[in-house]
Amino acid sequence: MVGERSAPLVLSRHVLMLGVVLIVLAPVYWMLMIGLKTEAEFSEIPPTIWPQEFTLEWFEAVLGKRGFGEQIMNSIIIAAIATSIAITVGSLAAYGLSRFQLPWGLNYHILFFILTVRMFPQTVTVVPLFIFFTQIGLIDTHIGMGLVHSMLELPLAVWMMLGFFRDIPRDLEEAAMVDGDHWLGAFRKVIIPLVRPGLAATSILILIASWNEFLFALILTRTEAQTLPIAVANQITQFDILYGRMMAASAISIVPVLIFTLLVQRNLIRGLTLGGVSGA
Amino acid sequence: MLNVLRRQRGGDVQAIAKTPWWETHLRFFFIAPSMVLLAVLAVFPAIMSWRMAFSRVTFKLGELEIEPIGFTNFTKAFSDNLIIGSTVRTAVWVLVVVSAEIVVGLFIAFLMSKLHSRARMVFTAALIIPLVLPPVSVGAGWLVMMDVNFGVLNYLLSLVGIEPQLWLADDRTALPSIMLIDIWQSSMFVFILMYAGILSLPQDPYEAAAIDGASPWQIFKDVTIPLLRPTFVVVLLLRTLDAARIADRMLAMTRGGPGSSTETVTLSIYKYAFIHFNFGYASALSVMFQVVLIILATFYIRRILRT
Repeated sequence: MVGERSAPLVLSRHVLMLGVVLIVLAPVYWMLMIGLKTEAEFSEIPPTIWPQEFTLEWFEAVLGKRGFGEQIMNSIIIAAIATSIAITVGSLAAYGLSRFQLPWGLNYHILFFILTVRMFPQTVTVVPLFIFFTQIGLIDTHIGMGLVHSMLELPLAVWMMLGFFRDIPRDLEEAAMVDGDHWLGAFRKVIIPLVRPGLAATSILILIASWNEFLFALILTRTEAQTLPIAVANQITQFDILYGRMMAASAISIVPVLIFTLLVQRNLIRGLTLGGVSGA
Repeated sequence: MLNVLRRQRGGDVQAIAKTPWWETHLRFFFIAPSMVLLAVLAVFPAIMSWRMAFSRVTFKLGELEIEPIGFTNFTKAFSDNLIIGSTVRTAVWVLVVVSAEIVVGLFIAFLMSKLHSRARMVFTAALIIPLVLPPVSVGAGWLVMMDVNFGVLNYLLSLVGIEPQLWLADDRTALPSIMLIDIWQSSMFVFILMYAGILSLPQDPYEAAAIDGASPWQIFKDVTIPLLRPTFVVVLLLRTLDAARIADRMLAMTRGGPGSSTETVTLSIYKYAFIHFNFGYASALSVMFQVVLIILATFYIRRILRT
């Protein structure tokens, strides 16, 4: 399409898109800057676009002794547990579904069933889970929360990995097996290296989704396993909101996501089109 | 596994006889862990919800008592003004948010498809950023920007001569304010999907239309839109179901207030369950909501299959 039209038209399209991108990113920039401003500066009118005086006091408060260090740790542990379970279990299922035909059209039904679970209202599962977890002592634990997040993200893992496995020609692994390798060897030596980018992108999406998740974490954790989003939300509902502290905590939850997103750009888009990280 | 693969292609029978039983049934072992995880953490709880929906549930000090009471919880819901209110509010939310996101997302996707490839990569990378950020942290940020006294939004309004707004503090503007945040974040999801759809459009119909001398508007209306229909329905399905279940933004920013002006169905159910500890009633509401979502989903999926 580009090149057919006159140069001014093409240029104006690029300028228009640049404007859209700036408007979309402006709030993100603003959020990150507020955490770096002094208390006097962020109530100033007109607001300063670039902080006149940078301060790290809010970040120190958040990372310091009475800060959110523990919640950050909890979020990391839970995201790690959720990601390792969902990616292992999900890849296995995706590999099986991409390579074998199950009887009674089960392949189709299983994939459809997995999608259905993703569309359950959260309250249908979280209320009974709260009861079970309280009874068996999984409430407010890293492993309990990690398991729940892995269940929430399993549909994403299966559907995304299915796409990557389907892209690999079957002949490749059969050739390896004819050469005398056991299937497990072929799997390790042929399949895994080929889907590594897919595994990375899927893992990062699950990691982000677990890191962001709010409703289940709010209900299934209290103190020991409380995650960062809950800590941020608690700052908001306090009567006397410390904006700097709240925004520093937000910034800390935003920055790792930004870094991860930019790391796996292209494959990430593939996952996002599958329903990505929006909603639990 | 080679044997299994061979057998599927009508291979030799002898090899199968020598294979250990677990290897012939390997294909089931791949699926099993997923099924167990979903059964234990999703299906079993859902069945439990259906049971509790028809019961009076008391849960104190780890002791669970479930006493069947028939349809009482369900009949109660139909005269519960709070729930009727949140249902209407959620419907409005879905309608406004999803249509706005489709307009914005579609606009950006079309504009993007007309840019140079290098510019596309950079801009797309920038535009997915809001989509992946934690909704709660994003909410906190908007809360500061929507501050009545020193928020940047009121400052920007004052520049164009509009009087300051109360945003989240007024029951008339609270829901639209959160809608704005949702549209800002989730339009990018619609964009990504529609953009992928546009990029995979077949070229032949366009060449045919060009030969026939069709105008750009005719091409858009009679070629592009019908071809994009399947993508369109998928976007509608995913966004409708996610928007209908919204609660985290409200829970973090307003707890449903002021009054009940930002209370959605999921938020109401959450309150019945974990503030009033009325698990039976909350479950009845949950399963009714589930039925509504299933009907909505089937409606869309039928359309997907038809196109």
